[in-house]
Amino acid sequence: MLIDYSVVLVYLIVGVLFVAAGIVTAALIRPSRPNPRKNSTYESGEEPIGSPWIQFNNRFYIIALAFIIFDVELVMLFPWATAFKEIGWFAFWGMIVFAFILALGLAYDWAKGLLDWEKPNPQIPSLDELVITREQYLDELKKKEQTGN
Amino acid sequence: MYNAVVNELIGSLGLIKPELALLVTFVVVIIADLIFKNNKVNLGLSILGTIVSGIFLIGMSGTNTSAFANLIAVDPFSEFFKYLILISTLIVLVMSEFSEELHNRDVWMGEYYMLVLGMALGMFLLAGATNLIMIYLALETMSMSSYILSGYTKEIKRSSEASLKYVIFGSLSSGIMIYGMSILFGMTGSLDLYAIQSYLAANGFFQPAIFISGLMVIAGFAYKISAVPFHFWTPDVYEGSPITITAYLSVASKAAGFAVLVRFIKLTFFDAAGSSDESWIMMNSIPWDMVLAVLAVATMTLGNIVALWQSNVKRMLAYSSIAHAGYLLMGIVVMTNTGLMSILVYFFFYLLMNFGAFIVVMLFAHKIGSEEMDDYEGIGYQAPVLASLLTLFLVSLTGLPPTAGFIGKLVLFGAVLDSGWYWLAVIGVLNSVVSLYYYAKVVRNMWLRKVDNGKGTLKFSIQSQALVMVLGIPTLVFGLFFGPIMRWAEHSVRIFLGN
Amino acid sequence: MLQSIPLEYYLIISAVIFIIGSIGVITRRNAIIIFMSIELMLNAVNLTLVSFSSFLGDVSGQIFVFFVMSVAAAEAAIGLAIILALFRSKQTIYVDEVNLLKW
Repeated sequence: MLIDYSVVLVYLIVGVLFVAAGIVTAALIRPSRPNPRKNSTYESGEEPIGSPWIQFNNRFYIIALAFIIFDVELVMLFPWATAFKEIGWFAFWGMIVFAFILALGLAYDWAKGLLDWEKPNPQIPSLDELVITREQYLDELKKKEQTGN
Repeated sequence: MYNAVVNELIGSLGLIKPELALLVTFVVVIIADLIFKNNKVNLGLSILGTIVSGIFLIGMSGTNTSAFANLIAVDPFSEFFKYLILISTLIVLVMSEFSEELHNRDVWMGEYYMLVLGMALGMFLLAGATNLIMIYLALETMSMSSYILSGYTKEIKRSSEASLKYVIFGSLSSGIMIYGMSILFGMTGSLDLYAIQSYLAANGFFQPAIFISGLMVIAGFAYKISAVPFHFWTPDVYEGSPITITAYLSVASKAAGFAVLVRFIKLTFFDAAGSSDESWIMMNSIPWDMVLAVLAVATMTLGNIVALWQSNVKRMLAYSSIAHAGYLLMGIVVMTNTGLMSILVYFFFYLLMNFGAFIVVMLFAHKIGSEEMDDYEGIGYQAPVLASLLTLFLVSLTGLPPTAGFIGKLVLFGAVLDSGWYWLAVIGVLNSVVSLYYYAKVVRNMWLRKVDNGKGTLKFSIQSQALVMVLGIPTLVFGLFFGPIMRWAEHSVRIFLGN
Repeated sequence: MLQSIPLEYYLIISAVIFIIGSIGVITRRNAIIIFMSIELMLNAVNLTLVSFSSFLGDVSGQIFVFFVMSVAAAEAAIGLAIILALFRSKQTIYVDEVNLLKW
């Protein structure tokens, strides 16, 4: 019976050979002339600044966590939906209780502020410092002439 | 076709009223936490819910049936453990109010109460579970809540480390347990413990697969009760967690683990028809008594010997609780109803002693800021009431008369000797003698070493002292008047054995 | 051409996956890799349960698989939250550097 799997073995070997032949031939034929510019990290045309390891943002983890829990709730919902018609009211109330407890968890998350997508606070320069009156401008010009001369 | 099943399910809802009360409390605490944002309200609601659940439990005393088509058994055995778990939950909730570890750090306590209730709910279901799915789900509910609770004070590095070790170890053990359950399901064709028993009764020969899968499932339970060699998480988690959670884990979690271990072994591997009340007939010639005896001896010995060189009181109490699990395992080894009764009696007294010791250690740690035995020197003269109560609890843990611990050990060793396991009883007694050393070390430090560290008399609040008295007086009283507890345990040993 | 695969093949595969998962839990240093190995063990259990269930014709094995999957998801969520909490205070996820609690 194992001989029936010979098809799979031939497929596997041909696949591996196909890919390997391509890579090996390319590696043998192409020239190899590295220079520092070619070896540096690609950053869409810009100059790479600093280290590629950034500080992980917490909010991604929290959103992923909420997703996985509700995804599993969805998994529980599918067989219930299939058998719902035959069981009737008991199934309905049972699923209402289950979904209510999970919705309570979601409400708890929401109220505690875990779902807020925090924006960074940019420092917007206020207009008062940039705009000066004409007298101030003339005063500063006079000061510069006095110190310059 | 489903109408009969649905009707039975609806009818069974009346049998799980205590669990439903805990579930409703859990939901109400979540909603109250969102609306009121007040920790006192959360605490009050949790205590109220626990008491309501206790009232329902009292109202259901005497039922001996199975609910939800053999998913849960509501019988006197599970009722005893549910009482133990309820009492522990109440004590822990009150203890959390006095714990400075939790309140000094401005930690939000709402989730703490919810998780304690969730853990209590899981333990309730575990005490009655008779189906492999139910055992797994209840065990995981209980374990998940305790993983988070043990890392609750996450600013303390030890707490997070303890929680990480607990999670890794717990997930590994539960993975092994469900692998054993899956093979047991495959060999016997059913997930229900009663059906597995009838399959094993019909095919009476020794099957290695059943033995090994049974061992793997027992390994999962042995992790919960911290039997050796599955105990490695216990000292680290007990030392790193907040002390209220340590006390809760050491009593209630162990109680639920023992309940399910006894139920699993008795229901699955013992012949219901041939067993009488005094001797159980083993099926399939699998030597479960030798397996459990080896576990018991290893647990007792390692727990007692490693506790000898501990200097941290919490860690010493953790190893002592491992040793007590070893003594309790002896009660299952004898395979009689008397052995089971001795386990129940010992557990009740163990609850009083262990909680008392942990509460006093917590109160001392608030005042002197340390949990090392060397820092307890002379504290007997600075806080005489609490120090004498701690002495009482430690003497009870050793098993000296006239305390409740002595009665517990007396009943346990009596059951072991009655069934002819003489070598096991001798090892148990030797281990009790060894345990005297490390308990006496604390007592000696408190009373016989006088140190002048200028602190004077330490003052404790009346409520915390009252709580410790509530645990200490029964420890003394039950050492003399233990009749009611014995009668209660004798009545509770009936495990529902299926129709 | 291919007859139905006998039961032993499934069980051997799932046993091998279970063992690979347990070796991963025991051997690896990175806490996240340890959790991945635990998930691998739970998936091996799922495979065992489903293969027994289809071999015996009893659907309760597959119902067990539902619950194992949901518990595995919850366990992974809790485990990763605990690793995050540990990383905040100790700045490491290698379990051999987490050694404040000893003998």
